[in-house]
Amino acid sequence: MDWGKLRFFLNEVRRNFTRNVIMQLTAIGTVTVMIVLLGVFLFGREAVARIGDQVVHQIEISVFLDDKATASDAHDAIIAIRSDPRVESVDYVPKAEGLRRMRERLRNQIDTSLLTSNPLPDALHVRVIDAGTVAAVAAHVRKLPHVADVEYAHDAVERLLRLSDVVGKVGIAILALLIFTAAIIISNTIRLTVYARRREIAIMQLVGASNTYIRLPFICEGLLDGLLGALLALAILALARWQLLPKITTALPFVPADVLHIDPTLLALELLGVGAAVGILASWVSVSRQLRV
Amino acid sequence: MISLRGVSLVYPNGTRALDDVDIEIAKGSFVFLVGHSGTGKSSLLRLLYREQKPTRGEVSVDNVRVDNMRNAKVPELRRNVGVVFQDFKLLQDKTVWENVAFALQVTGARTKDVMRQVPRVLDQVGLAHKARVFPSELSGGEQQRTAIARALVNNPKIMLCDEPTGNLDPVNANEIMDLLHRINLKGTTMVVATHNAQVVDRMRRRVIRLEHGKITADDERGFYHVTDAGETTTTVVAAFK
Repeated sequence: MDWGKLRFFLNEVRRNFTRNVIMQLTAIGTVTVMIVLLGVFLFGREAVARIGDQVVHQIEISVFLDDKATASDAHDAIIAIRSDPRVESVDYVPKAEGLRRMRERLRNQIDTSLLTSNPLPDALHVRVIDAGTVAAVAAHVRKLPHVADVEYAHDAVERLLRLSDVVGKVGIAILALLIFTAAIIISNTIRLTVYARRREIAIMQLVGASNTYIRLPFICEGLLDGLLGALLALAILALARWQLLPKITTALPFVPADVLHIDPTLLALELLGVGAAVGILASWVSVSRQLRV
Repeated sequence: MISLRGVSLVYPNGTRALDDVDIEIAKGSFVFLVGHSGTGKSSLLRLLYREQKPTRGEVSVDNVRVDNMRNAKVPELRRNVGVVFQDFKLLQDKTVWENVAFALQVTGARTKDVMRQVPRVLDQVGLAHKARVFPSELSGGEQQRTAIARALVNNPKIMLCDEPTGNLDPVNANEIMDLLHRINLKGTTMVVATHNAQVVDRMRRRVIRLEHGKITADDERGFYHVTDAGETTTTVVAAFK
C-alpha cells in the first residue's frame, strides 16, 4: 500500500470538498430532504402493505347453507372444506348461535326482541392461509351441496389494494422529482468545483493524467455529498421514529403496534445506498460533460 | 520521430491555421518553428500533443498516429511529450517541489519515484535550492525553469515549447535556451516555437519558418530572418557581432 499516493488523493478530495462550502451544504441539504421523504415513503408503504396484509388475512368467507341442510350435511360440508389445503380454519355457526351473536352485536342499537322467527341460515366461517386464494376457495366452496350463498368482502380488499397502488404511484412520482432535483444540485456543485479547479485540470490533462484519475476526486465529492446527506437524513428519521412512533401508535389504536416495527438496519442501508448512488451518478454526468473526456 | 503529412487545420470560424504542411523531425533533433504571431506555430504544436486534431492529413509522434488516436490513449501520448508555455502555467498555491511532483502524482507514480525524480529534475534545472518556494516568489526565469522541470519529470522523449522565452528578459531567455539545449543533448527531441530572433540566431539549429499556415523555409542551420533572395540571414545585430 502506497500511503503517499493515498494521502495525495485524499488531499485532492478534501480540497474539492472544501472549495465551495455553501454549495456543498446546499447539495447535502437537498439530499437530506430527499432521503427523509424517501424514508417516510418507504416506511409508510411498508406499514400500509402490512396493515393491508393483516386486513386481508382477517377476511372470512361466509358460507350460508340452505334451509334443507341438516346438521350432518353441515358436518359433511365442514369436512369437505377442511380437506382443502388452502384453508386454515372452519368455524360452524348454527342458525341459533348466529342469532345469539347478532343480538349480542346489536344490543342497545336495535330492538331484536321484535324478531319472532330466526331469519338466519346455518353458516360456516372459513379462513384461508393465503389471502390471495380467497376468491378461488370461495368459488370451490360455492359448488358444495347445500351451499346457498358464499360471501366475502372482496370489494374492501380491492379498494384497499387500489388505494395502496395509487399512494405508491404518487409517492414514486414525487420521489423521482426529488431525486432529480438532488442530482441537479449535486451536479451544479461539482460543476463549480470543476470550474474553480480548471487550471489544475488543464495541467493534469497536459501531463497525461488518465481521465479516470481526473474524474475520481469529483466522483468522490459527489459520493460524499450523497452519503453525508443520507446520514443526516437517517439521524432525522431515527429521531422522528423515537419521538413520533409512540404518539402514532396511541393516536391510531386500530393499527397494530408490531406493524410499525420495521427493521431499521435494512432501511438505513437502502437509504445510504440511494444517497451514494445519486451522488455518484450526478457527479459522473457533470464531470464528464465539463471535462469532455 | 515526428511527422506531419499534408496537414491542414481550419478552425470552426474559418481561420486556416495550417495549410498542407509536411514536416519530418528526426529523433534527438532541435528544431525552431519561427514566424509572426498567428502564423500557425502554436496550432502546429497543439497537433503534436493532440490538443487539436487536424482537419486533414496525418500526424505521427514517436511513430504513432495521433490525428486519429482514441481519446483514451491521449494521456499515454502526453506522458511522452513534455509541454512548456510562455505563461508557465504553474499552480500558484503549490510550491516548486509540489508543482513538479504534481505531474508525477496525477499520473499515478509511486511515492518512491516521486521522491527520487523530483529532486533530480530540480537539480537539473538549477532550482534545488528553491524547492519550498511558491511561484509568486520566483523570477520569470525561475518560473519557466519550474515549468521545464515539470515537463521533464516524466522523462519525455519529446519536448514542445511554445514561446518559452516570451515573458523573459534577454539574459533569462538565453539561460532558458541553454537549459533546453542541455536537455536536448541528453537525447530529448526539442521543438521550440518562438519569435525571439536573438536566440534563434545564436543557436544556429534547424529553423522551420511558417507564414500564413504554410512552410516558407526549412534550413538545417538557419537564422531567424529570410533575405529577399530566399536565403536566411542573421539579424542585423548578430550579423555585425
